[in-house]
Amino acid sequence: MTAYILRRILYLIPTFFGATFLAFLIIQMAPGDYLTQLELDPKVTPETIARLRAQFGLDRPVHEQYLLWMNNILHLNLGYSFAYQAPVLEVIWPRVVNSMVIVLPSTLLLYLVAIPIGVYGAVRQYSLGDRLLSFLAYLGLSIPSFFLALIAIYILLQIKFRTGTLIFPVSGMTSSGFEQLPPLRQLLDIAWHAVVPVLVATANDIAGLSRLMRGQMLEVLGQDYIRTARAKGLAERVVLYKHAFRNAVIPFVATLGGLLPSLISGAGFVEVVMAWPGITPFFLDAIANQDLYVIAGFLTVSLVLLMVGNLISDLLLAWVDPRIRYE
Amino acid sequence: MRKGWLVVAGLLAMAGVAGAQTFVWPQKWTVAKPQEVKRGGTLRNSVISDYRTFNPFITAESGNVPSIISGGRGLVTRDPTTGDWIPYMAESFTVSPNKLEITFKIRRGMKWSDGRPITADDWITTWRIHTDKAVGSNSYDSFFIDGKPITLRKIDDYTIRFTYPKPDATAFAVAAFVPWPAHVFGPVYQREGAEGIKKMWGLNEDPNKIVSGGPWLIESYRPGERLVLKRNPAFGEWNKDEAGNPVPYLDRYEIRIVKDTNAQLAEFLAGNIDLMAPSTVDHISQIRQAIQQGRLDATIKVNASPVASSQFMVFNWNKASDPFKQSLFRSDKFRRAMSHIVNRQAVVDIVYGGLGTPMYTSVYPVLTQWINPRVPKYEYNLQEAAKLLAELGFTKKDKEGYLVDGRGRRLEFNLATNAGNAQREQMAKLFVDEAKKVGVKVNFTAIDFNTLVGQLLASGPDRPFDAIIIGLSGGDLDWPFGSNVVPCKGNLHMWNKSGQCIDPRETQLDALYSRGRTELDFQKRREIGFQMQQIEAQLLPVIYIAGPNYHPAWNNRLGGEHPDAIISAIWGQRELELTFIKK
Repeated sequence: MTAYILRRILYLIPTFFGATFLAFLIIQMAPGDYLTQLELDPKVTPETIARLRAQFGLDRPVHEQYLLWMNNILHLNLGYSFAYQAPVLEVIWPRVVNSMVIVLPSTLLLYLVAIPIGVYGAVRQYSLGDRLLSFLAYLGLSIPSFFLALIAIYILLQIKFRTGTLIFPVSGMTSSGFEQLPPLRQLLDIAWHAVVPVLVATANDIAGLSRLMRGQMLEVLGQDYIRTARAKGLAERVVLYKHAFRNAVIPFVATLGGLLPSLISGAGFVEVVMAWPGITPFFLDAIANQDLYVIAGFLTVSLVLLMVGNLISDLLLAWVDPRIRYE
Repeated sequence: MRKGWLVVAGLLAMAGVAGAQTFVWPQKWTVAKPQEVKRGGTLRNSVISDYRTFNPFITAESGNVPSIISGGRGLVTRDPTTGDWIPYMAESFTVSPNKLEITFKIRRGMKWSDGRPITADDWITTWRIHTDKAVGSNSYDSFFIDGKPITLRKIDDYTIRFTYPKPDATAFAVAAFVPWPAHVFGPVYQREGAEGIKKMWGLNEDPNKIVSGGPWLIESYRPGERLVLKRNPAFGEWNKDEAGNPVPYLDRYEIRIVKDTNAQLAEFLAGNIDLMAPSTVDHISQIRQAIQQGRLDATIKVNASPVASSQFMVFNWNKASDPFKQSLFRSDKFRRAMSHIVNRQAVVDIVYGGLGTPMYTSVYPVLTQWINPRVPKYEYNLQEAAKLLAELGFTKKDKEGYLVDGRGRRLEFNLATNAGNAQREQMAKLFVDEAKKVGVKVNFTAIDFNTLVGQLLASGPDRPFDAIIIGLSGGDLDWPFGSNVVPCKGNLHMWNKSGQCIDPRETQLDALYSRGRTELDFQKRREIGFQMQQIEAQLLPVIYIAGPNYHPAWNNRLGGEHPDAIISAIWGQRELELTFIKK
């Protein structure tokens, strides 16, 4: 087992360099650079732009820029943001933490809701409940999250117009005057702001996961060993939860690896629409501005987490599934 | 008895000093009377993009934190009611007879928020750091005229002299830069140079360490979320209203970062933010509706003024590889025909929902003093366009209905704009449709912004585009022509980047630009500006289309907005210093 882990880690090294170089190259292949937007400013002279370009190192060949950056990475420095004039980690970290306030509860909620729905749908296939849940699931899947967020804002506003009270905030993470609140109230304030974004972020994914669970469960329920179990006269509860469910859930273990990078990569457009100070709006800004090292640095962190996550889920698979052995 | 007189004399003397120390905010800048004003409360605003630094020397975005906390004012400031420069942090100024030197007497008694006096050294240090290339300040270029430096000299603690390499219409705009505390930045600059300066006042800096000479101090900042400013008491010691009350009246100014305009609108409609400048018809009508139905107690001024920005079409004069197109694009008759094809009213109606202003010259319509009312306008007129094109030899049409000249060459060119800018794309499509009616084939493509800029600003005899729709913004009240745009060697001389003037009228514009910039008499300068617009309108180096309007809105819990006459994209809806919370 130890040998296997070591071998996997060795494989990761070329993957790391290949992926980071590719990412770096693709970012650089986009036309223009961080300073292009300055060129249409009537107040800035071309000399100034050329000088800044040299200061940022953007006038050097791509491979040279990559090597300099890699050298920084190996010293655990992700690089420097042009826009913020500050180290990348310093500017992205607070945003990642803010995003986690949505992502963590939403991931938890997702599994808590989607898996039971999936199991129910498989066990009571084509029942009224299954049809209703399927319909809702497809509805959730087909409405993009940014649009769902806009609908939520609309409903909140209409309630406010009718009754004069805002049940949940329309946007943002904290209320005005947040700094003056005692710590417990601060926590409650953030939780109050997080309710709608968490629900919106979850609604979209429930469909996918519950449909997958339903499909898995149906497949397992059709297997011979389930028939055998039933034939043995086992209680239906035991058949479902001990025999069917445990087997149906195995493919999900493989997807756990993807959870690790998704924890830091934000809740998506909900953050933009509901003005949540997370990583998504920040990262979109960085892309629009071509803030090279913010994009590349963030991708690198996600890459490392993805590689580590995959390794962990492979190990977990071996643990839960007796058919898999790494020798 | 004699003692009594002395006391009176002493009191008078003190009053004199106190008078000199105070800047009195004119009553005519607000609709509120001093007795209506209430003190305290929080103004809640929102911005679309997050802040990047607190450092005044490396900040680059508009609406940055240093410009907010400082109030953006320096030795002189503009009076919005007249547009004139008036002494602000200076008590008075004198211009030397040769117009090359301006000497400012600095107001005494002004203090930084940490209690240190504001003196000439602060301006000198700020100027030194801005003009250090290694710092990379955005203000660097403003301290040079044609590459020659403007220099500052300290005469004594409260006197400072600006020396200009030549007379300059924008002299006061340069002198109006905001000073920063020499006792904070000076020692670091001396010890560690530019690198030390760049590391200062990042977003992680303890807000208590940020020293301000303006109306606000930073209370707290949460990245991506909210910046909270509090009143700077030191500012109120020398900034008073006409009743002698210190300003600003507000306790706090809170700015939320809301990345999406729909979310901004929702917050404004919910009454959670106080200020808004909606830019689309949809947003405006939602605000109007909410006000009419009594759901929101607010005010909106639709079409308060045009915005200082322009959208225009530019033809490429440097196409050595295609002499047919090159001679076409260089012909003013051709460009005039194209101007006749642009349906500006349709653009205003369709693209801006009726909330825009057509444009004919490079001077933004909001700069009303500068607009020459007599310039020729080549309005939408397809017959006229067809006639001009016929004069150029395009009399016959081919099978597909497009104009061809005597040698069978079809009148066809490519038009590009940046993808994602829906308004420009709409303008381009309107143009394509109108052009087709006359028999001109226009192939429109939307391309990536950076690629577009690369093509537009390429230089030399052969450049890679035919025509582009793009916009510029900015606009200066002292001299509204762009220093990069008008001169033939300018980087934004977009139609001709061969490095030299091609049309004699370009040479003429180039010369008039320099003359106007060095002319200090406003009336004479305006005459030169009128002449330039006259030439521009005939030459049509770029074909101006239209620009959007400014529609400020505010929640009625606020008082102290500008009188209607000065609510505009230039002066905004209010001075924050004079704004107060009614309820």
